Amino acid sequence: MTPMPRLVVPARHDKLAEVSKFVASAAMDAGFGETVVNRIELAVDEACSNIIDHAYDGGKGAICCDVTAEPGQRLKIVLIDQGHPFDPASLPEFEPCRTLDDVKIGGLGLHLMRQVMDDICFEFNLPGVGNRLTMIKHYDRSSQRS
Amino acid sequence: MIAVLNVRESAYIPASGDSADRKPIPVLTVSGRLDASTVHVLERALMRALSQDTRAVVVDAAEITYISSSGLRVLLAARRQIRERGGDILLCSLPPNVRDVMNMVGFTALFSIFENSDAAKQAAADMY
Repeated sequence: MTPMPRLVVPARHDKLAEVSKFVASAAMDAGFGETVVNRIELAVDEACSNIIDHAYDGGKGAICCDVTAEPGQRLKIVLIDQGHPFDPASLPEFEPCRTLDDVKIGGLGLHLMRQVMDDICFEFNLPGVGNRLTMIKHYDRSSQRS
Repeated sequence: MIAVLNVRESAYIPASGDSADRKPIPVLTVSGRLDASTVHVLERALMRALSQDTRAVVVDAAEITYISSSGLRVLLAARRQIRERGGDILLCSLPPNVRDVMNMVGFTALFSIFENSDAAKQAAADMY
């Protein structure tokens, strides 16, 4: 198991790239292929955007990111914030539609997170912690770096 | 690390057709990282393009290095707006990672997507 240094950034959209690259680097080091790394980067970006927009409601705060890589097995990403508890179930479920005119765009980010990650766990108001989002990506043959 | 997105705005004028029909077709060549921090750059360029009396806008995505749901939302909103006047947003040259994200939400089957900018421009010209 290889824990990475913790990254703490202000909860601002201009910090999304920094968090995403931090996680992408860990995913690459763990042996995930480019396509999967891009998808993991996307899931983290969407999760952080939700924290900024919903948990902090655009206000001040911080996002703490911990990544633990188990090469050849899995990547565990933990995002912690001290904003309002953001219940993803409060968002409308994204439903892919047959025509773009029918697409209801709410919940798009969460849909992408669920498409990419194997396990997602939201925990709210943990004493001494705050809100904690844990996302896990398992390593399989399709994840391999080519 | 600051995300950067650039949008080069140009116009394509079809070589054939009646002169009255040869309206410039806005072409947006997008490069860089398209996320929540940069999406306003594309949004403004799309709004400028849509403010012209055009039925087509070509968006060349060849140099987009990354796209999140923020980018998808803006493209969707622009398409809805131009569809109200019978037009379309024509996407072209999607990099594999951009196509992958669009696939995950079913957008590749719904948007008008072309292999390269020439094909998109021709399709745009054919709309007049």
